[in-house]
Amino acid sequence: MCTLTHRHAIHCILPPYILSRIAEHGSPELRGKAIRALLVDPSIRMVRATTAGPVIGSVARLRSAAGNVLTPSPLRTIRDAKGKPEAPGATVVRREGEAPTGDPAVDEAYDGLGATFALYWEAYQRDSIDDAGLPLDATVHYDQDYDNAFWDGTQMVFGDGDGELFNRFTLALDVIGHELTHGVTEREAGLAYFNQSGALNESISDVFGSLVKQKALGQDAAAADWLIGEGLFTPKVKGSALRSMKAPGTAYDDPVLGKDPQPAHMDDFVRTNQDNGGVHINSGIPNRAFYLAATAIGGNAWDRAGTIWYNALLDPNVRANTDFAGFARVTVDVAGRLYGAGSADATAVGAAWSDVGVS
Amino acid sequence: MTDEAGCGGEARMRVDGGFAHLPGRASDSCVPLERLPGDERAELTRLADAAGFFDCAPEPAVARPDARTYTIGLTIDGRSRDLQVAEPIRDPALAALVSTVRRITRERGGV
Repeated sequence: MCTLTHRHAIHCILPPYILSRIAEHGSPELRGKAIRALLVDPSIRMVRATTAGPVIGSVARLRSAAGNVLTPSPLRTIRDAKGKPEAPGATVVRREGEAPTGDPAVDEAYDGLGATFALYWEAYQRDSIDDAGLPLDATVHYDQDYDNAFWDGTQMVFGDGDGELFNRFTLALDVIGHELTHGVTEREAGLAYFNQSGALNESISDVFGSLVKQKALGQDAAAADWLIGEGLFTPKVKGSALRSMKAPGTAYDDPVLGKDPQPAHMDDFVRTNQDNGGVHINSGIPNRAFYLAATAIGGNAWDRAGTIWYNALLDPNVRANTDFAGFARVTVDVAGRLYGAGSADATAVGAAWSDVGVS
Repeated sequence: MTDEAGCGGEARMRVDGGFAHLPGRASDSCVPLERLPGDERAELTRLADAAGFFDCAPEPAVARPDARTYTIGLTIDGRSRDLQVAEPIRDPALAALVSTVRRITRERGGV
């Protein structure tokens, strides 16, 4: 019956074939509900079919459990653009719960979305990008010789690289975490993608992208490599990754690509009209601040340091035009609220920002 | 001026931004159309016409995270235009044109 309080009412109203149709063609919100319903529905139907009338004991407990959606889980859909410049791709190649396809880009995207969902839920109790179970969609094999990955407001889009300088962009787990985090930032602080607020937006994606990777690998702050995009370069490129949070400006130095231009300190802040005011360049400064804070605090970076940055992102004092100094103040404030104003954590965060010249 | 085969024009491309933004690679590329085989020139003209490239109203290029902005330029048969286009490119015809000009300038480009 649908008279009881229920998280997704449509699952007890609609037959599976209609749910499938909604899951395929509905709005993101309806698709999420329909997919969840389809995932839960078989167990509910089975239990209902075998429990007509009053029930007691183990069957009653099973029936009760089937009626409740407990831990949130990701709702992933991977599409294939088949080398065309279209997103979403025309062909759905893997849905939630389906087995690996054998296509590395498809399976890496699927697993990467899952690892990112896991970080946000397990570390920060955030249920997907919007904290309301938004389905996670990705398109792979976008265009040809496409050296990029981006968040288009509704999904992640991944190219296969050109094979000469770049490998496929699903290869690096932190890239997937990075792109999804843009969705989180868009729904929280809404940092404008330009100049310092844009570089901060980029840095937050690097921070949580790296934390996705660290958590998946079980690495603490001391063991992590703090590289962004490791594995994206082909062996022809002289470089280890696209960016280094630990040592900005040292990730690559290549005759074709040039030298990693990221500054590590405000003294070297780059003023440019390119790249929306250097959002991928000056992000090195807040990136290193997080690295310094996380290694000073110690342990798993996604625990205390990550919690401070996450709560700062949600803080009402962080707005669209917040700059490095504004965000720094909020992180120190949040660390004080969470762990005490004079705590080692708050002190470490303040020192980290000071070390990169942000005050 | 153009010859009988429609030569005399050029394709231009500049790519800015992207997750892998590399300042060392951000430069203008330009390919004289006479370098292209006839069928490729014809395809480029067809794609430009399909996208209404020379007539379409420019949309504001709003930057999305890690999305690229393309400055695409074409001179074909006396018509010339430079247009800034930001990803995601929702118009399939324009997306196909940008993809093709990006490929042509990458493979045959020089400045």
